[in-house]
Parts: sequence; C-alpha cells; structure tokens
Amino acid sequence: MALPPSLRTTATPAELELIASEQLVEIVPLVAMERTAFISGAYGPLRPPTKCKMPIWMATNLKLKKKCHIVPPDWLNVEYLQERLARETSEPEFSELPFRFAEVAKVLLDVASDDISSPDKVRSLLQDIREARQAKSREGLSKLDHSELSLPNLCSMEINEIRPFFVRSMSILTQLVREPETRQMDQFE
Amino acid sequence: MPDDFGGPNILPQEVAEETAFQQLIRHWMNERHSPDILPGQELLLGRILDHVRKQSDDVQLLRADPDSSEDEHFRIMLVQTEVERVKFVVRSYVRTRLHKVEKYARWIAKTPEVHERLSKAELDHAKRYARLLEYHFTQSVLQSLPPDQQSLEEETAFMPPMTPEPDKLRPVFVHALRDCPHVQLPDGSTITMEKGRISLTPYYVIEHLLARGEVELV
Repeated sequence: MALPPSLRTTATPAELELIASEQLVEIVPLVAMERTAFISGAYGPLRPPTKCKMPIWMATNLKLKKKCHIVPPDWLNVEYLQERLARETSEPEFSELPFRFAEVAKVLLDVASDDISSPDKVRSLLQDIREARQAKSREGLSKLDHSELSLPNLCSMEINEIRPFFVRSMSILTQLVREPETRQMDQFE
Repeated sequence: MPDDFGGPNILPQEVAEETAFQQLIRHWMNERHSPDILPGQELLLGRILDHVRKQSDDVQLLRADPDSSEDEHFRIMLVQTEVERVKFVVRSYVRTRLHKVEKYARWIAKTPEVHERLSKAELDHAKRYARLLEYHFTQSVLQSLPPDQQSLEEETAFMPPMTPEPDKLRPVFVHALRDCPHVQLPDGSTITMEKGRISLTPYYVIEHLLARGEVELV
C-alpha cells in the first residue's frame, strides 16, 4: 500500500491538474442552485445570469453538463498570449505567467473550448510558448552547479518536466565537490 | 495554493487565507518532494477527515430522502465529487509517508529524534517492519555468513550504508512563501531568498525553512 514506485520521485501531470483545479474561476451559470457548503468553502447561490466564482473542478463539472459558461482568466486569450510569446522569443529570461498556467489552460481548453475565443489559435500559441520556454530550460542546465540555481518565473508543469534530469545532475555535481566540503557540511548536521 | 508571484493583472486570485484542504495539499507536495520524512500533520488530517465524514453523512441523509429534487441530486453529486478529491489527496499523503516509513524503517527505529515526527501508528509500524526485515535478512542470508559479516551495521568504505537513510543532499525545487534572509548555500555564500523565488538547491539548505513553513517544495 505504500506509494507506487512511479510516483516516488515526482508528481504526475494529473496530480498537478488536480491541485490547479482548486483555483477559482468565474462562471456564468445557466441553472439556479442554492448556496452549498463544501470542504473548501461555501459556493453559490447560482442565479443566472449573475457571474459567480467557484473552483475549476466544479466549474468543469457544471460545464460538462451544460449548466454554465466558463469565463476564461485574463491571460487565456490570443492577444495576451501573443504578447507573451513575443517577449518569450525576444528576451533571454522566462516571462511572467501564472504558476499553474499550463494545467489551467489544458483543463479549460479540454472542456470549455467554446467559451474561449479562437481556441485553436490559443492552443498553438501555448504550444509555441512552451517550446520557447523549453529551449530556455535546456540552456539553464549549463548554469547548474552544486549549490543553488534560481529559476524565476518557471512554472509548475515545467519544473515537473525538468525535475528528474536537473535533480540527478545536481546530485552528481554535489558528489563531485563533496570531499573538500565535508567540514562545512558537518555544521549543518 | 497561494500563487502570488506574477503581476496582479494575470493573477486575479485574491490572497486568501489557506483553507484546511489547501494546507493538506501543500503538506502532501512537501512530503512527496522531500527526501526526509516530515512531521506528520495529524491534527490537520483529523480535521479534514471529520469534515469528509460529515459531508458523507449529509449526502447519505439527503439520498435517503425520496422527495429530493433534481437540483438537489446535482448538489449531492458535486459534494461527493469533492469528497473523492479530498480522499485522494489524504490517501496519497498517507501512502507517501508509509513508503518512507518502510524504506527507512531501521533508521527510524534507531533514531529517537525522528520519532516525534511520526504518528503512533506510523512509529509502531516502522518498529515492527524493522524487526521483520532484520529477522528475514538473518534467516535467509546473514546467519549463513561468517560471524564477522553477519551484522547489518557494518560500514565499508565506498559502499552505501546497509541501513538506508534519507539523502539530505538530494536537490529539491523550493518556492519561498516569504522573504527568507541568510540562507547559507553549499558554496559558502549567503543569499536572501525573496518571496516568490523558485530555486533548485540541496534539501539540507532549506530544511529548517521548510520546517518553519517559510518555503514549500514544488
């Protein structure tokens, strides 16, 4: 019953999606519903067409039953992503994006693509951004040492992607410099 | 999760107080990414399980009521969905700890400082598991070896120890939840991990910050 081996070193994308789905999103309800108490708080009442905030998992649930429209977050549209892509390809550092943008975008594009304007364009922009950022991650590997690597604006899904390789690389670098530093290490323990 | 890095324009999420479930998610991810076994969150877990029980009882009651409307059925379904989500995280959290308890059973049994991080059930399990493991090793192999090779404690140069211990040198991805000044790095330099910073650094560097809840592992 202990954790299966495949989950011992990293989180799965599905688990990250579960975490991201706790975030709130705005919806336009199509049905009325009384205020209901949940473990994470009380949501509702739903009174169409008054907008309401609820966790993404709940919104997707309603959406799949055609009981609401989801209002995509400010950053999930062509203009915003185009501007990010332009920055991503012209500047050397990672541009600012919500920490769990990849998960949120995937969930919303999967179930609510009809609530997002030009979803195909959004998809391809997200893909381009992802590739531009992946290239930067790979370059970042050259800065890796045994001590610390700061990764500003790196996002949850990207961290998960590079985790196995980066962790292993740094472990090896740590082993290589370990001998001369044994004394310093003792202070920590 | 308090995702408050990034400009306010891209993160409308208000910085609300963490709910109990969000706390559990944070501890779950910390436990998953940390090489060491962290202090068990028994109180939090108890609170959440009570809440799960209460929600499930309410659902049972409502279900038994034949007059409930379609609208109510739908709300019941949402409540149940959430209960399953919470149960999933609870289960994964407990199983992550179980994995570490079993992996480090012998180390836990002989290291009293770790005991307070474990629940009574976990500690009992660790001790029993360690005993079984030693018995099994002795019965199957060790007793047939020459006497000076029978011990599980021996330390041979260049060989990993026979009692697995958490590898605190393992790097982790850490996210600073507030400003953490005077973080001493392995290369001897000292930095301030400003709030929102994400770094890859060996676990022992941030161990004390994690214990104080000033950083989380991502």
